[in-house]
Amino acid sequence: MLKHFYSYIVETESIEIELANLDLSEKEKEHLLRLVDSNINHSVVDTILSELCEEDKKEFLKHIKNKNQEKSWKMLYSKIQNAEEKIKKAAEDVKKEILEDIRALKKAK
Amino acid sequence: MGNTHYEILRNKWIKKHKDLQKNLWEKHGNALNHFANSVTQIAAGSLGGIMLLTSPVVPLLPAPQTPAPKENIMPKIDKNVFLITDLHNVLPSDVAPLTTVQEEGAVKILTRDFGLKIAPELSGIRLNRSYGYIGQEQHLTRFPGDTMASHFSTQDAASEFGKQGMAPGLGAWGYFARSADTMTEKDNLFEKYYIAVPTFLAPGFSEHTGEYITFFKYRKMIVVNPNNGRAIVVVIGDAGPAEFTGKHLGGSPEVMQYLERVDGAQKGAVLYFFIDDPNDTVPLGPIDIK
Repeated sequence: MLKHFYSYIVETESIEIELANLDLSEKEKEHLLRLVDSNINHSVVDTILSELCEEDKKEFLKHIKNKNQEKSWKMLYSKIQNAEEKIKKAAEDVKKEILEDIRALKKAK
Repeated sequence: MGNTHYEILRNKWIKKHKDLQKNLWEKHGNALNHFANSVTQIAAGSLGGIMLLTSPVVPLLPAPQTPAPKENIMPKIDKNVFLITDLHNVLPSDVAPLTTVQEEGAVKILTRDFGLKIAPELSGIRLNRSYGYIGQEQHLTRFPGDTMASHFSTQDAASEFGKQGMAPGLGAWGYFARSADTMTEKDNLFEKYYIAVPTFLAPGFSEHTGEYITFFKYRKMIVVNPNNGRAIVVVIGDAGPAEFTGKHLGGSPEVMQYLERVDGAQKGAVLYFFIDDPNDTVPLGPIDIK
């Protein structure tokens, strides 16, 4: 999985475990996990940007581009209240839908 | 036969991805566009509308003003997105020579995605770098008497690629064929899909000039645009460019067009590695991810 500045507060192992029980090749599993990762990332970035003004959005994106986790988090802590909780929630909402998709497929087997 | 688990989930999650992407761009398009324009070359509307704008930390898809890709090409497009993302993970933010770790990472990704034996070094020989700015080269004279009038087999190709003109001198290895009559399709493709690399800057070149020239002559390589995932199999057809140009290699008009790279102030970077293909089984030209 890709490493993001929020990776330490967002786990995706639960999805990997659910996928492990499906009939998937390693490559297919990898592809699906990347889609999951990207979907979570879009949601997290949307959540963060929604809390920032235009100038701060640009600055935050710059920190991400430069892979500067320290500056990313400093900015989040100073500009967004309960930033960690909001990021976790954005990720969890996506994960919940993903897990439901997997479980629905298992039930239909 | 019904859809496989993979297909069902893939289709669902790609749809979700598109929705998230659309939402993101609708809400934050100004900042994302500003950011994209400031950090990387974006070939607007290129590659069927797919482009990763930023580092892997924000694997965003393009602004929705580009035409939406057709559903039946989604799997291919997705593969490109992941290739771009993976390469961004290992490449430096500046266009600088790669460290050993970065080079190994890039080779591993390309080997996996293209199913070729790719290496920065073969027989103990390597170029001065494997990641750099590519510039536009002109067409090379394939045989004595080859001119722009004889160079293209179709009018469409002449219209598309004629404007770059013919280089005033021969390529580093001379003519590709002795005459128009004896020119093979292989000779023709060597010129069509050639790159120029500074062979003279390869470590050890001055001590082993003869051996190195033999090695580099029409050596097969893969060139990859890390910003759009496009890759092409080429041969080394010329030596250059000079260091003062600020470019690290050059591509034929056909190579540049496929990679969506341009010369001048908008020049962009590519990765370039040897292909270990002793039996000559890898065809020249554009190559898709497996």
